[in-house]
Amino acid sequence: MTDPAATRPHRRGLVERYVDSITGRVGGQSWLTKNVRKVFPTHFSFLWGELALYSFIVLVVTGIYLTLFFHGAQDHIVYTGSYEPLRGVRVSAAYNSVMRISYDVKGGLLIRQTHHWAALIFVGAIALHMARIFFTGAFRRPRDINWVIGMILLVLALAAGFTGYSLPDDLLSGTGLRITDAIILALPFVGERLSYLIFGGEWPGTDIIARLYPVHILIIPGLIIALLSVHLALVWHQKHTQFAGPGRTEGNVVGERVWPAFAMKSIGLLFLTAAVITALGAIFDINAIWLYGPYDAAAATSYSQPDWYIGFLEGSLRLFPPWETRIGGYTINNIVYSGVVLPTLIFAPLFAVPWIDRFLTGDSSEHHLLDRPRDAANRTAIGVGSITAVTVLFLGGAQDVIANTLEMPVATVTRVLQVLFLIAPPIAFWLARRSCLALQRRPGPDHTEREGEIVRTADGGYHTIEETAGRDGPAGDHETVDA
Amino acid sequence: MTGSQVDDAPASGAEGVAAHPVNRRAYRAAIVSFIVAPIGGVLAAVGYWSGSTESLLGIGLALCLGGIGFGLVSWAKFLDFDEDVVQQREPLRTTAAERDDFHDEVEMTKQTVGRRGLLVALFAGSLASLVVGFVGPIGSLGPKPRGERARTNWAVGRRLVTSDGQPLSASANGLDQIATVFPEGFVGVDDAQVIVLRVLPELLTARTAAGSVDGWVAYSKICTHAGCSVGLLGIDNRQPQVVRELVCPCHQSSFDPLDAAKPVAGPAPRSLPQLPLAVDDEGYLVAAAPFDRPVGPIAWDEA
Repeated sequence: MTDPAATRPHRRGLVERYVDSITGRVGGQSWLTKNVRKVFPTHFSFLWGELALYSFIVLVVTGIYLTLFFHGAQDHIVYTGSYEPLRGVRVSAAYNSVMRISYDVKGGLLIRQTHHWAALIFVGAIALHMARIFFTGAFRRPRDINWVIGMILLVLALAAGFTGYSLPDDLLSGTGLRITDAIILALPFVGERLSYLIFGGEWPGTDIIARLYPVHILIIPGLIIALLSVHLALVWHQKHTQFAGPGRTEGNVVGERVWPAFAMKSIGLLFLTAAVITALGAIFDINAIWLYGPYDAAAATSYSQPDWYIGFLEGSLRLFPPWETRIGGYTINNIVYSGVVLPTLIFAPLFAVPWIDRFLTGDSSEHHLLDRPRDAANRTAIGVGSITAVTVLFLGGAQDVIANTLEMPVATVTRVLQVLFLIAPPIAFWLARRSCLALQRRPGPDHTEREGEIVRTADGGYHTIEETAGRDGPAGDHETVDA
Repeated sequence: MTGSQVDDAPASGAEGVAAHPVNRRAYRAAIVSFIVAPIGGVLAAVGYWSGSTESLLGIGLALCLGGIGFGLVSWAKFLDFDEDVVQQREPLRTTAAERDDFHDEVEMTKQTVGRRGLLVALFAGSLASLVVGFVGPIGSLGPKPRGERARTNWAVGRRLVTSDGQPLSASANGLDQIATVFPEGFVGVDDAQVIVLRVLPELLTARTAAGSVDGWVAYSKICTHAGCSVGLLGIDNRQPQVVRELVCPCHQSSFDPLDAAKPVAGPAPRSLPQLPLAVDDEGYLVAAAPFDRPVGPIAWDEA
């Protein structure tokens, strides 16, 4: 392949010389050029994945700062920092160090709150990103592998959130760990031994914070970075999906090039994401552990809700009826059902989405063009039904708050939500399916008959050009190439 | 400038920009953003050095980051690439030739490495033993359970003391009030936490009255559902009969303190174990016996 640029005389600037000095040693300048010209289809819904990536970057940067002060230990010391109400109280070293970050490290509270906000947005962006992939059918072959990697990333994100949330060793996080221990303990066969292994003995032990710390700052982020790299490399290599449109086929990608159109906007988004999260951290208090106080075995507070993404699990625990199964001297506690079985029933089908879709549609071929959600009515309806079920669980996690707001007995709210969990998903399924079918019959922008485009000429006249010429030329020109 | 992957020069570039009216608004927005950014940076520095407020530092940083971000996006908008570049997908599927090529390698491996079944089996066995060898150190993470969960520090005659070590006098007044107590000498020990309350003795059912003294009843404070501390006494006197409930704040399980703390609502499947009470010579409440079963959420073999 001859590079026409090489024959053209030109002055090479600093960037070119630096790039050349590297590619001249390791090779791959044509690869670099090719990738700089790579085409990205654009659509607003493609943004969520980027948002997740950028909040993860904020998490890593703020997290590194926090590790420089956090002390992952449960030794008891007397608090002597500048928060007056807690002075003289016996707290764990972990709690003490988080108090120090919050009150005595200049800028520490900002970084800590930004870190926590970033975590909330990280998981939220992942959820929206997944919804986009699901409802447009982007998970289909050949991207089924990347769907599974994405699911593992979601689980890791939840684990990162939960372990991080537990580290300050305050009352709320201690309560969360206690519930976790109860779930582990109830597991058949291995429960008690496993609980002792994790906590270093009978609850609460003195090891758990010191163990969660490396899990939170090394093991989980390490796995996330590794899988995220594979995730992105696959997106890059397999190329993006795109919605159908003029000149867009299964065999091509139509959009803007990485440099500069896509990169300028995407890097802009990185900074905007960081800006919003920093502003949240600066303005809104989050996880005010000085109000909860240090973990105290004999205390628990009402309105103790976990971070939003654990809400469905909390709701499952609250809504599940008090059933337990006894089989010959052994008991399967209801917390096994609500804390292990139900979450598994939520996550296992999520992992299997590409194969379930393949089974239901009988379509196992490759797809690069996205479905509009309305055009895959059953899939959309299943998605809406599942989201409804998880939403009911999420509401269940705050059933005491709802009961108090509505001034109703908690038991009534619980009963209503239990019933809703069973009947709302099928209703949502039916409604979503009906809406999709109705929308299918309505002509959308793609179905609109367009006579042609009216253009104004340089001398002030107007005339119509036929649509067959395609928009701006290049897209239309290539329709024939791929046919 | 056309590379091998981009099949056609886009209608953008210098020519494309010229064709569109220049987006003055985006241009101005980019200028303003890139001016706001350094102001934000200075603000952040002032916020930090003056030590006045943490929010000033944060808002300054947010302005700086936001200025850069918004500036870049506006700049891109001003340049108005509006590209519709077409790139062909390279087929991802494996070709028959590739498959055959790989098959040759697999065959070669079978002929060479795979020929000595004994070595393959021994090698696999060595790897398996390596895994087994690592099981031991994993066991060091925690001791084997030796029935600790079946015992607490409660023993016959041991006083109930509050978290500051004060014993509870049986003659103390305080109907319908609750207190958290521990066995004397074991304040703060997790599995020994007990909730004690006093009600009119005639309200208690027979099985509960057996472990009570003078209307005092005591139960393990650990919820049998997920192990949170049952911390609230709900008294509902809107109904003709006053209803008392011990409530767990985590998942809203509630228990009837008048009848063996049996679960009446919420996800808890079992009653809170009752601590039988007695009064010692000095008139203080003591345990008449330890708990008769494990407290809190149970393991599968603790039925």
